Amino acid sequence: MITKTVTVINSQGFHMRPATVFAGEMGKFKSKITLESGGRNVDGKSLMNIIAACIKCGAEVKIICEGEDEKAALDKAVSMIESGLGEE
Amino acid sequence: MLKGIGASEGIGIGKALKLLNKPIVYEDISPSDPTEEKKRFESAVKVFCDRNEERAKRMDQLGSDGEILRGHTAMLSDPYMLSQMNELIDNGACAEKAVETVCDTFISIFSATDDELTKQRAVDVRDIKKQLQKILLGIEDVDLSRLPPDTILVVEELTPSMTAEMDKKNVAGIVTEKGGKTSHSAIISRSLKIPAVLSVENALALIQSGKDVIVDGGSGEVYTDVDDALREQFLAARKRFAKKAEEEKKFRGKQTVTKDGVVKKLYANIGSHKELEAVLDGDAEGVGLFRTEFLFMDRNSMPTEEEQFEAYKAVAVGMRGKEVIIRTLDVGGDKNIPYMNLKKEENPFMGFRAIRYCLSNREMYKSQLRAILRASAYGNVSVMVPLVTRVEEIREVREIAEELKNELNVKNIPYKKDIKIGAMIETPAACLIADLLAKYSDFFSIGTNDLTGYIMAADRGNADVGYLYSALDPAVLRAIKHIVSSAVKRGISCGMCGEAAADPRLIPLLVSFGLEEFSVNPSSVLSVRRILSKLDRKTCDEISEKALSMENEKEVSAYLSSLS
Repeated sequence: MITKTVTVINSQGFHMRPATVFAGEMGKFKSKITLESGGRNVDGKSLMNIIAACIKCGAEVKIICEGEDEKAALDKAVSMIESGLGEE
Repeated sequence: MLKGIGASEGIGIGKALKLLNKPIVYEDISPSDPTEEKKRFESAVKVFCDRNEERAKRMDQLGSDGEILRGHTAMLSDPYMLSQMNELIDNGACAEKAVETVCDTFISIFSATDDELTKQRAVDVRDIKKQLQKILLGIEDVDLSRLPPDTILVVEELTPSMTAEMDKKNVAGIVTEKGGKTSHSAIISRSLKIPAVLSVENALALIQSGKDVIVDGGSGEVYTDVDDALREQFLAARKRFAKKAEEEKKFRGKQTVTKDGVVKKLYANIGSHKELEAVLDGDAEGVGLFRTEFLFMDRNSMPTEEEQFEAYKAVAVGMRGKEVIIRTLDVGGDKNIPYMNLKKEENPFMGFRAIRYCLSNREMYKSQLRAILRASAYGNVSVMVPLVTRVEEIREVREIAEELKNELNVKNIPYKKDIKIGAMIETPAACLIADLLAKYSDFFSIGTNDLTGYIMAADRGNADVGYLYSALDPAVLRAIKHIVSSAVKRGISCGMCGEAAADPRLIPLLVSFGLEEFSVNPSSVLSVRRILSKLDRKTCDEISEKALSMENEKEVSAYLSSLS
């Protein structure tokens, strides 16, 4: 299991569009991917649960990946969040 | 006549078509074969996704946004959501029940958050639930893709899937029972440019299908007793509106500049961060008045600094570097907020309100100013102080701001170092000492609504004295001229954020006085830009000289009306 903590920088946070793109990408990995934010754990592949978590701009998110492709999954998740989740 | 909220401007004339929701009823019994039931569920999901994609494509072709519908597909395709539904079916639920249970869980989770965007997603889940259940039950709705010409749709609320299916060229107007200016229904009807009146109580009961109906999306009025005279009147109004809209369209994306090349700032007034979309849609160049009262109303306690920060920041970020003038709390007068324990006053408009209240409730005011300062790191934010009557008030606000800036410096919290602090000029006192106030203000913004009331000492809502209330009265015109001139003399910018800033009769005078910034309703931006493009200083000076030489409002009004 590997983890890394990053800060959400895009203005909308994990809202509809960014969350859809993120969950879609995470779905391609075999590893279990969990987002920990504000004391809550959320399945990183579940769009609905990500939206429910209301992760906003400025929030710290700990990404936890566990499985055969955990390194690649974590790298992808970190780069997506750090680059602003595809938001302009 | 029925009254609602005018959410999308324009006149709609046509025949009513009510969309009654067919009840979704199913028998909640365990299917004999869960495997078969899961197959039935799976094929319904496929139908849902295919149909959605088809509709989204149709929306793209029509130039509207298919993204909402693709979002529904993404939500339903969530592996977690699907596995939950399948699990319920494995445990004996029928597909309809499984859909209901899982969707309801998310509806209540989303609705319970205090985040507006997340709350809105509950509408999407409700829509997904209904659509999916209808597919499972084989319920076909009114075929919205084939409507008779000039249909006025009467619905409880407009859902994204309805919009996608709707035969838009035949929809002349929309009436809903639910929703406000920022609801889904409002945003959709504005983007489709279909006149819409929302929140009409009992519309489905009061309007009969097949009857003639007129919808005025500007005033929020819906007429159900249509005779020839009324029809004629509104046909003419519709023509005028179409012509105006056509001309104004040419001014979208253009600079606001007078005929003789003077560039003006054309901003919009908003009452909530949710109106940001309307501002961008209206093509405003900034926000000239961001009222903050909404953050304090409809609740039981003060909003936290954090909540305020989020709302201010959302607008600062959304405007992408364009100026956003945030007015600090304007409470009191007719705006009472229960938990603030304001005493009942004999004379609330001359009482404990706005900056007066704020300066004696320092901690509350500091938390608002701190929230604004912090948000200023994310855009071009300015602060506006309402109801200034004395120099000390604006000086005190500046002192507090300096104190807060020092605190933020120590904590290394970013803010806009040269944030502007300006005075809203809306009292006779402020007008008379405008030269003094200008020394301590980075800008002025004239609030003509209150200024007119205070100068004329007349309440416009009072039928006996309402006739005195007019921004075209010689007294008010002189006040405005004096305020703008004082600003010009001191070299600071002067704006206007009252309704008068969009009044075609008054605009020539404002140009002559030297007003730099016009802040109007988002939907009036293009109209004002067009008017300004036709004016030059010399003509405006002549008009202004003539208007100011007149002795009464009637004469002024008649003269200025004859020009526009």
